[in-house]
Amino acid sequence: MPTAPALDISGIEKRFGEQCALAGVGFQVPQSGIFGLLGPNGAGKTTLLRMLNGITAPDAGSISFFGEPLTRGHLPTIGYLPEERGLYKSMRVGEQAMYFAQLRGLNKKVAHERLRYWFDRLEVDGWWQKEVGEVSKGMAQKIQFILSVLHEPRLLILDEPLSGFDPINAQRIREVILDLKARGDTTILLSTHDMGSVEEMCDEVALLNRGQLVLNGKVPELREAARDGRYAVSFRDTAMAFTVALGASAELIEVNPNPEVPGEHVAMLRLPAKSDISTWVRWISEKVELTSCTPWRPGMRDIFIRAVEQQQEPVK
Amino acid sequence: MNKLGLIIYREWITRVRRRAFIIGTLMVPVLLALGVGLGAWLENTEMEDNKVMVVDLSGMITFWDDSRQAYLPICSECFPERAHLEYRFSDIALDDDEFLLSDFTSMVLLDDAILQHGQAKNLYEKSPSIAAQNTIERDLSSAIERFKVKEELALDYEAYKRLKTKVSLIGEDIITKDGNATERSIVGFVFSLFMFMQIMVYGMHVMRGVIEEKANRIVEVIISVVRPMELLAGKIIGIGLVGVTQVIALTFLGFLVFQVGGQALEISGLLTSSTNEAVELDFETWMASNDLLGFVLEVNWPLMVVCALGYFTAGFFMYAALFAAIGSAVEQESDAQYLMLPAMLPLFASYITAIMAIQNPEGQVAVIGSYFPLTAPILMLIRLPLGVAWWELVLSLSGVIATAYAFVLVSARIFRTGILMHGKKITVRELFRWVRHD
Repeated sequence: MPTAPALDISGIEKRFGEQCALAGVGFQVPQSGIFGLLGPNGAGKTTLLRMLNGITAPDAGSISFFGEPLTRGHLPTIGYLPEERGLYKSMRVGEQAMYFAQLRGLNKKVAHERLRYWFDRLEVDGWWQKEVGEVSKGMAQKIQFILSVLHEPRLLILDEPLSGFDPINAQRIREVILDLKARGDTTILLSTHDMGSVEEMCDEVALLNRGQLVLNGKVPELREAARDGRYAVSFRDTAMAFTVALGASAELIEVNPNPEVPGEHVAMLRLPAKSDISTWVRWISEKVELTSCTPWRPGMRDIFIRAVEQQQEPVK
Repeated sequence: MNKLGLIIYREWITRVRRRAFIIGTLMVPVLLALGVGLGAWLENTEMEDNKVMVVDLSGMITFWDDSRQAYLPICSECFPERAHLEYRFSDIALDDDEFLLSDFTSMVLLDDAILQHGQAKNLYEKSPSIAAQNTIERDLSSAIERFKVKEELALDYEAYKRLKTKVSLIGEDIITKDGNATERSIVGFVFSLFMFMQIMVYGMHVMRGVIEEKANRIVEVIISVVRPMELLAGKIIGIGLVGVTQVIALTFLGFLVFQVGGQALEISGLLTSSTNEAVELDFETWMASNDLLGFVLEVNWPLMVVCALGYFTAGFFMYAALFAAIGSAVEQESDAQYLMLPAMLPLFASYITAIMAIQNPEGQVAVIGSYFPLTAPILMLIRLPLGVAWWELVLSLSGVIATAYAFVLVSARIFRTGILMHGKKITVRELFRWVRHD
């Protein structure tokens, strides 16, 4: 019997007055992976995330949570780190962490043990007695992250979890997220505009735009499907010599010096239809010194931009 | 502890442990005690030793006594012996230098013009205290009165004094047999003023708390764990308990100050009989015998405190729900101003009516106001010390509770939508739409 998906979202609709926030959105989030929820600003991501947290209800459609209709009873097993997040400034860090942990249903003893573990792991243990108003923004971000994972949720919803972190702390949080994924008992729903993180961490994505689902699938498959016959060719010569040698054999899209290898250039080109790449490589190698030739796969950033630009007119 | 309990506790503890709250609460009875002590001290020390020379230029109130070789008052009882006031009489005024060299603190010049305009010149180097001036004026008035009675009407002064009548109205409620109505309405006013301040201050706390949670975006995390109604209820109850804590602390501290202050005053010997300064009194007897403070002991304090707590709870819920709704509908405190005005209007109206009601606590405005739910928490407390029928109390308090309940329900609807709204100017029409939307 196949495992039920962590989330089965079907035909979700939501309107705010005249504004249509979600128009029949549906997709599945498989268990125990990292699922990216992508979309430009105003696409309806936050509305959908709020529905998953029981903050708002859909006008139509259904949401299943590990095979059961999602109810408020499931909320204690969901962790949520909203994009716009804050803490009470006049409370001490440890006291506030205990407050949220207990609101999440943990008893004092367990909450205290887990908080000690996470404070130690994310290096905020010296801040327990400090007032939140005294801690840096990055430190507050770490505390908020801890509060979302503390109760070991089955579904962890992270909305822009890396924003506001310096590169070192962003990497630390990234490692924690990947570690949670590796442990296999938490499904992570990651909403972000950072496409580098999506490529690095997400197994699957759904892309929303103007309240509609415009793309959904596994990241490698989406990238493979988005290939358009382009090749990245590296060579040791001048850009001019390569352009002259190329002639009309291929469409040159761009050529730039390789920043990592001095004296080398990288050209992006597309061969005419029905051309054989190996024949072309042999032919051009006689004219310039080639160092590599690889099929170009678009990144998630390109896929994102193309999908959004291609979408039809907004839903009225 | 359940979630509601956790929210209530957080709202309560984060406020009552603030230094400002502790200092503020401790300062009220301390300031009160200081005020009373200062008053008593001033009253005692204000009467510095005064030695007054009364220059009777027309010989109206003095005569020359050969045996004592001094001028003496014709009416000796008009100038009784006083602790801080001593009179000397003469028929010739001292010149300025002589006066400054003498040990007199002031010199009063009396001539027969006083019979026309009732004024006498008082010369001094340092102005005598108001209390001393009042005493001198009273003594001189009696002496002049005696002169007028005897000289102009040819009456016996003792007979005149027997005829002279002063009427005082001693109020008594025909049902409750209670008196001192006006004085006790002042107790009610103090309670209502305190109630007004508590509802205002802690209602604003609720509004600020909601705005803080909304502006800091904490609310999104919290309402993913608890229902908006739980959060609202927890916030109102928690902050309301801060007010109750302050009331309890102030009651306890007030009682303590009353007792300790009373003991201190007893030991200091400052509490003397108003009729005979040589007689020292205990604190309670002094209070009871004091014209200004005696009524304090006649107030039904347990009823006042219980009713004040009841009205505070219901009244606070009513206004706090309103303030919470306003807080949830705005982005920052400055945006709340235009919505605050209609919410505060009944509160201010009650306060103004309360000031007027001191003079006439059973007037129509005060009575109607004490039934109207929005003004009842403040106005009923003015009437309460005078005695209010039980059905009036039940009617009034039930109205406040019912209105508070309705306000909380409406407020919860605004709150649950408003706290997630950002970057949008909210109109009154939109607020109504949120209330209607289920």
